[in-house]
Amino acid sequence: MSTAALNKLIEAARLDADHVFSAPWEAHAFAIALKLSEAGHFSWDEFRDRLIAEVGASDRIRARDGTSDRGEYYEHFLRALERLLDEKGLVLQRVR
Amino acid sequence: MSGDHHNTDDTGPAARVKALEALLTEKGLIDPAAIDAIVDIYETRVGPRNGARVVAKAWTDPAYRKRLLANATSAVAELGFAGPEGNHLVAVENTDRVHNLVVCTLCSCYPWPVLGLPPVWYKSFAYRSRAVSDPRGVLKDFGLELAPDVEVRVWDSSAEIRYLVIPERPTGTERMSEDELAAIVTRDSMVGVAKIAAPASRRGDSRRARA
Repeated sequence: MSTAALNKLIEAARLDADHVFSAPWEAHAFAIALKLSEAGHFSWDEFRDRLIAEVGASDRIRARDGTSDRGEYYEHFLRALERLLDEKGLVLQRVR
Repeated sequence: MSGDHHNTDDTGPAARVKALEALLTEKGLIDPAAIDAIVDIYETRVGPRNGARVVAKAWTDPAYRKRLLANATSAVAELGFAGPEGNHLVAVENTDRVHNLVVCTLCSCYPWPVLGLPPVWYKSFAYRSRAVSDPRGVLKDFGLELAPDVEVRVWDSSAEIRYLVIPERPTGTERMSEDELAAIVTRDSMVGVAKIAAPASRRGDSRRARA
């Protein structure tokens, strides 16, 4: 199960060795997080803690169900960023 | 699924990022041009070519190799490589007796200044969950079978420490220049999931075919 999943990802990486983002939104989510961190709105460690929590929650589900991920890392990344911005009150806006 | 109050699953990630970027721009917290610049840096300028130069120098300059093994952060800074996620870099060296493999079991910690951002497989559950418990099985998936007497050392990256593998210099490269050597050093070899084949016998399936 895991071997097949990993082989698929390895093959994909070989076909497209220079690709670090799978879609433009992934690149933008990454850049937004890095920029806000560099500007001091949060530390990268604070962000990483949220990321580890998101990844860990997904890992536990995968371990329980015996499923493999399909390269959804940046979905965890985005959710971690949204949560942190929410906690920091950086994206407060009028609801209506 | 998750019962979080965000309820953002209704919208795709692309739309969410777009909305986020627009809101943060409106609040003056980010500048779209600066975001594009970061994307460009990590898509085109920071990548494993940096690490390859470090490895090639370590292969050809014994004093540099010594400095790299003693303090990788300052040794790579000598070549101008520094930045986020590179503050506590440790170089580990492969030999005919020891093979080093790097993973981040919790998320995706990776030495950005020398390798750029990690490939998809590095961040996958399949890799992270097995690299520690079954490193030889993982290496087999990458097409690398080590002799039974070779010790495999697995390094779990953390917020504090990032690892760079110095792969073995292949035989038959004695006359190659530092630049030529840098050209044969692969990202996978610096994570420890591959070896570098001798130039004459380099396997076609281990890299992209050249036109």
